[in-house]
Amino acid sequence: MDYALDIFMIAVSGMLINNFVFYYFVGICPFIGVSRRVDMALGMGGAVTFVMSIAAFMAWAITTFLLVPGAPITRWVGSLFMPAAAAARIDLTILTYIVYIFVIAGSVQFVEMYVRKFNPRLYRSFGVFLPLITTNCAILFACLTIMSHIVGVENPSEIWGLGKSLTLAVFGGGGFTIAIVIMAGIREELDLCDIPVPFRGAPITLIVAGILALAFMGFAGVDAGLRQAISGG
Amino acid sequence: MTWVTIGLSAASLLSIAIVLTTVLNWANRKFHVDVDPRVLKVIDALPGANCGGCGYVGCGEYAEAVVLEHEAVDRCTVGGQSCAQNIAAIMGIEIGEVLPYRPVVHCGAHYPDRLGRSEYRGEKRCAAANMVADVQACTYGCLGFGDCVRECRFDALHIVDGLATVDYEKCVGCGACAKVCPRNLITMTPFKAERMLAVTCSNKDKGREVMAVCRVGCIGCGACTRASELFHLENNLSTIDYDAYPEDCTAEMLRACEKCKRHRLVFVGKPSPEDLEKAEPLEAPEVIKPDFHTTVDDTEWRG
Repeated sequence: MDYALDIFMIAVSGMLINNFVFYYFVGICPFIGVSRRVDMALGMGGAVTFVMSIAAFMAWAITTFLLVPGAPITRWVGSLFMPAAAAARIDLTILTYIVYIFVIAGSVQFVEMYVRKFNPRLYRSFGVFLPLITTNCAILFACLTIMSHIVGVENPSEIWGLGKSLTLAVFGGGGFTIAIVIMAGIREELDLCDIPVPFRGAPITLIVAGILALAFMGFAGVDAGLRQAISGG
Repeated sequence: MTWVTIGLSAASLLSIAIVLTTVLNWANRKFHVDVDPRVLKVIDALPGANCGGCGYVGCGEYAEAVVLEHEAVDRCTVGGQSCAQNIAAIMGIEIGEVLPYRPVVHCGAHYPDRLGRSEYRGEKRCAAANMVADVQACTYGCLGFGDCVRECRFDALHIVDGLATVDYEKCVGCGACAKVCPRNLITMTPFKAERMLAVTCSNKDKGREVMAVCRVGCIGCGACTRASELFHLENNLSTIDYDAYPEDCTAEMLRACEKCKRHRLVFVGKPSPEDLEKAEPLEAPEVIKPDFHTTVDDTEWRG
């Protein structure tokens, strides 16, 4: 029951309260670039969610089994060359950034090949923004958040397992999708408006994004209230 | 940082790289998509202005239409003859000569030449003014509110003293101005030379009525038709047959220009050497002032 509550809190927090786009301001590039039409925005949101989930899964697996001190594979290989106690202390977390970029780039390439074969129209609409997911800080941000929950805690029971990591990734991607679809809906309406010449294009988009971020601030404190409502009352 | 740690780091990075390479290799072969290489070559040959003059949304769409749907190779008005030749070479076909099409404004009356102009308080658009009576006496001629200027994406049209004027050095021939003029004054004409002769009037009324509405309109006297075979009268208006237009200017054409009492036979096109010489001592303005106004400024709602 506690575990389910934790999953629920991570999901709500990742999707609405600490929305990746409006709270942490990561993933702005595809957010501004592909939010011209709702159907394309939905496609991009789906692609980012999918890549985030795959990347989070691989990041979690590699971090837990290879990189953290006490990881099984590292400990086993290390015990061949040094006493077991020392092997359990080998810390490879310096590799996290490089490994995460490997994994993210690989999964984005995979998704790009898949989309190009099975949905050419979506592929052409993405244009350069699909490979830009590789350098998109939203994916790397999700992976690093997961890593910090695996590494940076003293209490072993607080270490995030696969369930919590995937929940953050999927619902974080869902939050990104919500953000980009809202933006696309607004921008479709903006196309019909009379905007002063200095504001046309990127400036009005950024202003609208700022107003949306202000609106999403309304969710702050909802997690504490929800936790109290579900477990206390 | 012991040697074991360093060795383990290197080994783990290497093994991740090998796994990823294998997976991506498999995916590359499984999800392979065949792209005709000619499409990329045609895209390279096209100018890349994405102006829509060919009738397709962008240069990429036109390239695919040429390669996959056997579209005509000379649809690009910007690229012209050389581009059509390049595309024909890529596709392995032969084409004849392709002429550039440029707009000709068939009206030559500036504000002082127009008679019967009255104050117009409506929306400053040609399309709107065209529907209202008595903005100016001539119902065929240029209104001068600049719908064509706004439509042109290449800054090739300007309103000079009330008359739409084409800058042939900037014009790419996309035809947007011709499509938008509500009085159909602009026609896309094949330019066989750098400067072409044009009849700059569209008034189809008889002589006396024309003189009542305009100081320079064509009265349909027929003097040009007597001087050269290139002209013929249609609906009291002199017309040039551009299919029969000669490559070089003939003496009869020049005599026709002199004979026209209204001076409606004008050479349009890129500036001639004499014009360039005359413009040399003039100074160009240094400062470009920004022009902040929106479409709302064009509507003058008086309540």
